[in-house]
Amino acid sequence: MRIALAFLVVACLVPRTAQAGRSFYGWLYGTEVMPERGVELQTWIFEENEKYGARDKESSIWWGPQVGITDQLELSLPIEMEWTTPVPGKTSFTFKRFGIEARYRLVSQDPADAPAFAPLLRIAAKRDVTVRDDLRVEADAVGSYERGAVHALIDLGFVGDLQPHQQHTELRPGGGVSVHVVGDLRLGAEVYSELSLDSLGESWVAIGPNVAWTHGRFWLSGAFGIGIYHVRTAPRVMWGIAF
Amino acid sequence: MRSQLVMLAGLGLTVSAAPAAPASPASAQPSGRVVGTVAVTESDGKPANPADVIVYVVGFAEPAGDQVTTIAQRGRKFVPDLVAITVNEHVAFPNNDPFLHNVFSQSGARQFDLGSFKKGETKDRQFREAGVVDVYCNIHPEMAATILVLPNRRHTRAGTDGHYVLEGVPQGDWTVFAYTRRATKPTSAKVTVKAGAETTVDLAITRGAEPEHLNKYGEKYHDTGEVYR
Repeated sequence: MRIALAFLVVACLVPRTAQAGRSFYGWLYGTEVMPERGVELQTWIFEENEKYGARDKESSIWWGPQVGITDQLELSLPIEMEWTTPVPGKTSFTFKRFGIEARYRLVSQDPADAPAFAPLLRIAAKRDVTVRDDLRVEADAVGSYERGAVHALIDLGFVGDLQPHQQHTELRPGGGVSVHVVGDLRLGAEVYSELSLDSLGESWVAIGPNVAWTHGRFWLSGAFGIGIYHVRTAPRVMWGIAF
Repeated sequence: MRSQLVMLAGLGLTVSAAPAAPASPASAQPSGRVVGTVAVTESDGKPANPADVIVYVVGFAEPAGDQVTTIAQRGRKFVPDLVAITVNEHVAFPNNDPFLHNVFSQSGARQFDLGSFKKGETKDRQFREAGVVDVYCNIHPEMAATILVLPNRRHTRAGTDGHYVLEGVPQGDWTVFAYTRRATKPTSAKVTVKAGAETTVDLAITRGAEPEHLNKYGEKYHDTGEVYR
């Protein structure tokens, strides 16, 4: 504990260098957006292993371009693919969803004007390819606070699967901290959860270390979630290339 | 970083230099004028246009004026490519070209990224720290400009004959600097200003090649395949 505290104190004293990374976390949305007319291709790969009593395993790919509409608003056009084990002994890999999402940062991103606390709102609407009458809506309220080398973030997410005859909703709260270590490398930890609000879904929670690295126009971040409720592991990695 | 600090110190624009100043505006104090000439030579010894030189005095602070300085993007150039402003003033960057530009700076005194914007659009930024801010376009490597963010309003551009006049310099012992883009090293002289008097300071400065720069991602520009010089 003393070593960890000493590390944190030293890290707070290290001069912060420019970070171009979009997110310092694995499961959590960041609060940075693209500059106006900036374009970036982003990819996520994530797994949820042995959810709900070892029944389910999932591996998913999220891919999409991000476009800076203004210096505070960006649009994304994501495509999602999913590998699952719907029943024991069988697997399925499918084109799962596509849609559109908007991320609006409520404060300036300019280094001279940006406040320490930066809020961001995200909304998304997605069509489920395998459940034709399903509309998925997603929303996140994200807040980050940065002081020196330390960046802390809270992400309060909501997901709703809306069908004509039934609706499933869940909360996806999470939080984390990321510390600038050296160069363009950051290390930290985060907790993430998916909490069903009805009987149509189940809940799980994971906590674990995260890492973020930036190299020029490329950035990468990831987290290795260790299950503390109804999931064994939940690793996730994401990367982006700006143009 | 170290060389940048040395350069800023040489230009009298380190953090410690700027605030070492009377708190009240210089215009409220007895003042004199500093005049002189600036001789500019290229590194091969040939004379260069002195109108590309900014002359300024450091050692005291003044509040910013309310004017907004403009650096236009025109013909794949920043026009002008050297301006001097006072701390807390704004610089506007209108795009007059029929194509996109992406103005940015990675300078320690002020980092910003204006994103890409088209003809007719203008973006501006405020500069709250004294220092030298190098500005580039992320799309066109040949575009480069410098903003001198100074602690007071006693700065001017030399005439084509090299002559300059700094009015309203408060009495006291100060340092006069001359700066031009591509200067190989800062040039300065100590000056003692007396109320109602004129003090003459002649300066000489040597210019070299355009320093290399990278794009906003810290990479070489892809359209040339090598760092712009």
